[in-house]
Amino acid sequence: MYNFRTLLAGELQRMLKYHILTASVLVAFFWIGALHLLETGDISYFFSLIVFFDVVSMSIVMVGVTIFFEKQEGVLQSIFVSPISKDEFIFAKTTGNLLQNLITILIVYFYTLLFQNININLAGLLGAILLIGLFHSLVGFLIIYYCRDFTELLVNMAAYFLIFTIPIILEFMGVLGTLATNLLYLLPTKASAVLMEGVIGQAQTRELMLSVFYLIIGSLILGYFVRRKFKIFAARESGV
Amino acid sequence: MFTIKNLTYRYPTNKTDTLNGLNFKIQPGEILGLLGPSGVGKSTTQNILIKLLDDYRGEITYRDRPLNDYGSEYYQEIGVGFERPVHFGKLTADENLKFFKKLYTTTADTDQLLKRLGLYQDRHKKVGEYSRGMKVRLNFVRALLNKPEMLFLDEPTAGLDPKNSRIIKDMIQEFKDRGGTILLTTHLMNDVEELCDRVAFMVEGRIVEINTPKNLKLAHGQRKLQVEYSNQDSTSLKEFGLENLGQNQEFLELINNKKIITMHTQEMTMDNIFIEVTGVKDHV
Ligand SMILES: Nc1ncnc2c1ncn2[C@@H]1O[C@H](COP(=O)(O)OP(=O)(O)OP(=O)(O)O)[C@@H](O)[C@H]1O
Ligand SMILES: [Mg+2]
Repeated sequence: MYNFRTLLAGELQRMLKYHILTASVLVAFFWIGALHLLETGDISYFFSLIVFFDVVSMSIVMVGVTIFFEKQEGVLQSIFVSPISKDEFIFAKTTGNLLQNLITILIVYFYTLLFQNININLAGLLGAILLIGLFHSLVGFLIIYYCRDFTELLVNMAAYFLIFTIPIILEFMGVLGTLATNLLYLLPTKASAVLMEGVIGQAQTRELMLSVFYLIIGSLILGYFVRRKFKIFAARESGV
Repeated sequence: MFTIKNLTYRYPTNKTDTLNGLNFKIQPGEILGLLGPSGVGKSTTQNILIKLLDDYRGEITYRDRPLNDYGSEYYQEIGVGFERPVHFGKLTADENLKFFKKLYTTTADTDQLLKRLGLYQDRHKKVGEYSRGMKVRLNFVRALLNKPEMLFLDEPTAGLDPKNSRIIKDMIQEFKDRGGTILLTTHLMNDVEELCDRVAFMVEGRIVEINTPKNLKLAHGQRKLQVEYSNQDSTSLKEFGLENLGQNQEFLELINNKKIITMHTQEMTMDNIFIEVTGVKDHV
């Protein structure tokens, strides 16, 4: 794991050089703008929604897009003939991604602390970002493994959002029946949403435990496949 | 260094084998040229040897141990020069090299390498702004940055001007002189003749011939002398075998009595040997 530090430092350096950090800050200000316009009393709930959407989408997009560009620039080949392990590579990327998530969310959080009325569990928030971010970063890996070009990457990411987040929005709008609502519990996005409800103290303990369990087990299973398919991916990207 | 026995490989997406039972050795301290028509499997072979492709059939040993026994520590001692650019475009050459150097336990003096290749002044320029030839040179620095003992080079001089190409060839030679081993893939026959101790020709996923450039020439060359001389008002051309030329009366007569214009030995060029060995015909 010695090279993990170097790889992570590289991720952070590139976050700056490729203006990913700038983008994160801009996104944070976009969310702040949205919250500012709301003018409700307690914005905890809206804040939790923002965290949900931001972490789910940015985790997938950032892993997908950075690996895509590394592929295009040919650096993956260079990285794959260095003395690193696939675990170091996967961990470094995921950790970089989680840090990027944290930066956006913490900026928004500090704004709400200073200018708004918010009531959330900070430790819970950090834990939720970690779990939701980890799970969806791994989803990002699997999506990029199976994409041959940028269009395919975009289509697959969009498909994930549509399939997994639209039902959550529908539930939120109250248009789903009981059966559909129960089926939602099969979705990782539902588990993520429950976690965020937990952060603002609106989830039942049993439901919350189940969601935490879902995301941990889910991440382990995804992690298994991300590791297993890594070699095939690396071989394909070494192509001529 | 390497012993390759019956190496067979098929890409998961293909229906036929790309490599059909390769047999060859790479001796420590030699430069082995891997030649063959485009698409024959040279890069595939290299990618197997640098452990990017596994799932091959056959046996490969590196330093007398199966290649599969090596983990990521294998990369500490090999260097790979890729044909296409392999650097972060928005990072400078210096930042790129620093990043990759940190992944290795032993590292070369990359400033020295950059100076030698004429990139030192541009080390703080983003690689994305480099010209094609500059990227090729930077790839060469990347290949050497961990002081490897075994070097894999895929077209290291492709697209370079004669001066830079000369510098890289000199550096390859120096690498060998210090005891390094090289597998060189190239289509440039000049480079092959100049650098390679042995040459392996690949055809249809097999090695069909492997020998020193000199022996190849002996085996394939016709060893003839072509004499052009003036014959009254016109010039004539005559060919003589080099065997016992000094006793060849016709030849002696000719050089004694005629005005010689040119005299050339007809050696087989690597180009011709390539075409003869690989049997490349016109594409249909
Ligand atoms: N990733 C891949 N998936 C499927 N087939 C591949 C892949 N890479 C190469 N091939 C096929 O394997 C064969 C050998 O390709 P390879 O790149 O090894 O040739 P090469 O000898 O290096 O050619 P060149 O001199 O043009 O570089 C080709 O028919 C090619 O289409
Ligand atoms: Mg090739």
